[in-house]
Amino acid sequence: MRINRTDLGFAVFAAGSGALCAWIGGIEAIEQALGSAGRTLLTIVPLFAAGLLLAGLVQQLVPRDRVKGWLGTASGWRGLLLAVGIGIITPGGPFTSFPLVVALAEAGADIGVLVAYLTAWSTLGLNRILVWEIQLLGPDFVALRVAASLPLAVIAGLAARAVAARFAARPGSK
Amino acid sequence: MVAELVLWGLVIVLGVMARARSPTALSEAGRRALAFARALAIRLPLALLAASFLTQILPRELVGAAIGPESGAIGILLATAAGSLLPGGPFIAFPLAVSFYEAGAGLPQLVALITSWSTLGVIRIVAFEWPMLGPRFVALRVGVTLLLPPLSGALAAGFLWVVR
Repeated sequence: MRINRTDLGFAVFAAGSGALCAWIGGIEAIEQALGSAGRTLLTIVPLFAAGLLLAGLVQQLVPRDRVKGWLGTASGWRGLLLAVGIGIITPGGPFTSFPLVVALAEAGADIGVLVAYLTAWSTLGLNRILVWEIQLLGPDFVALRVAASLPLAVIAGLAARAVAARFAARPGSK
Repeated sequence: MVAELVLWGLVIVLGVMARARSPTALSEAGRRALAFARALAIRLPLALLAASFLTQILPRELVGAAIGPESGAIGILLATAAGSLLPGGPFIAFPLAVSFYEAGAGLPQLVALITSWSTLGVIRIVAFEWPMLGPRFVALRVGVTLLLPPLSGALAAGFLWVVR
């Protein structure tokens, strides 16, 4: 396991926010933060493992020519709307969606489709709405927020296509 | 618990399908999963730790009051900025949103805040998206997404105006 500069940055960030937390909230705040971070880690590890395996399997199972046809550069509005639909139903957190984006990109999905997918998943994801948002914020607020978020994914996808047509950008490229 | 069962159920179904298609598919899928897990093994716990520390010291009253219903477009922009800095997953962010609401945040501002947290959350971008998808993809996605949180706030304000 190698430690790179980004990991070092995170270590500094965690240490800095920890020092700030101790300064403002004292030892009690530190204890609470450590407890909640530990509980969260235990919750997400099984989800994360499943998400990574799913992405690997999708990559093995989905034929490249199909992905190109359904979600490639020439897929037009149908590709964007399909991506929005998949984004809405994708279960799990970033542990499922980001690996899936990598898998689809390598299979030939278009950048607008990938951006529309991520935007739909993050703003309209059914799993998060049902499990967390309705319980905590109530159905009235959720209805307002979902209505205001409906056009966002398609707008982001179209914009990404327009930009990518000028500067070729692919996931994974430096 | 439901999410775990659904995801692992899917893993098993797809695993059986992959094994039926090719004898090397399973090990190849496992190899890729392991490569990603390695890339995130150090920074993910650190990001969680930082998010938990920041949650403890977030000035909730201050943020809630600054993005009140009368704060208008400025409030929506402030909420967009605050949302992108909001730490953690839904188990942290939604309770924080509730506490902002109780401290006086307006509904359109809260919509912008949640859209911003979902699409522009800095911690998620740095911890997950950057290492997995690369800086160019992140730059392009963030670029085309910057205006969406204010747009969702404005749309929400419009809907509320029509309803009332």
